[in-house]
Amino acid sequence: MKTTLEIINRMQAEGIICKYAIGGAVGATFYLEPSATFDIDIFVSLKNPQGSPLLTLTPIYDYLTSRGCQTDKEYLMIEGWPVQFLPPGDALDEEALQQAVETEVEHVRTWVISAEHLVAIALRTGRAKDFARILQFVEAGVLDPNQLDAILKRHGLLEKWEQFGVKFLRGNP
Amino acid sequence: MSEWMRKILESKRAARQQLRALTFSEKLKLLEKLRERSLAIAESPLRRRQRNR
Repeated sequence: MKTTLEIINRMQAEGIICKYAIGGAVGATFYLEPSATFDIDIFVSLKNPQGSPLLTLTPIYDYLTSRGCQTDKEYLMIEGWPVQFLPPGDALDEEALQQAVETEVEHVRTWVISAEHLVAIALRTGRAKDFARILQFVEAGVLDPNQLDAILKRHGLLEKWEQFGVKFLRGNP
Repeated sequence: MSEWMRKILESKRAARQQLRALTFSEKLKLLEKLRERSLAIAESPLRRRQRNR
């Protein structure tokens, strides 16, 4: 994992990507107990290619494949880890990326999506495993309720949160 | 809830709390081990035989 992050940092230093932050199960591990996962989700902001309004992952693929990384479906294999690069899909992703928390993994600098943004993203995604992760966050007591409330309000997720509460938190979100 | 079950739940909660308190680097090392184990289980002949049924 350390080497994987070093390569992503190098990509950032060389201007291939702008800001990045770890999300998904690996990001959640920053706040919770570790749970098995097969891949790393990296939220990443990209530079628009000159004259194009479209964002493309091509520079990342070109950079990594020219350095021997293999592709596997939507993943790029970096030092044995399948990594999925996710450009922001909406304002929530954008905000999560901008407000990511800086940390270190074995002295390698990196960024992790905040706990409240991870919960909001999981709520929006809405698969069974996302709901299970939200419950882990709630049970661990690591969420700032005011911060979470503000994020849910800003991104129109309050109704979904209430439904989640009724279903999984005995009506008390 | 029986006393026995209460003790089990309490110790599980304490173990989870201990794991949460580890540094990110330590947690990622555990996560790597978990992943290696999961991949080994997925690749075991027993598991493959089940998948092919």
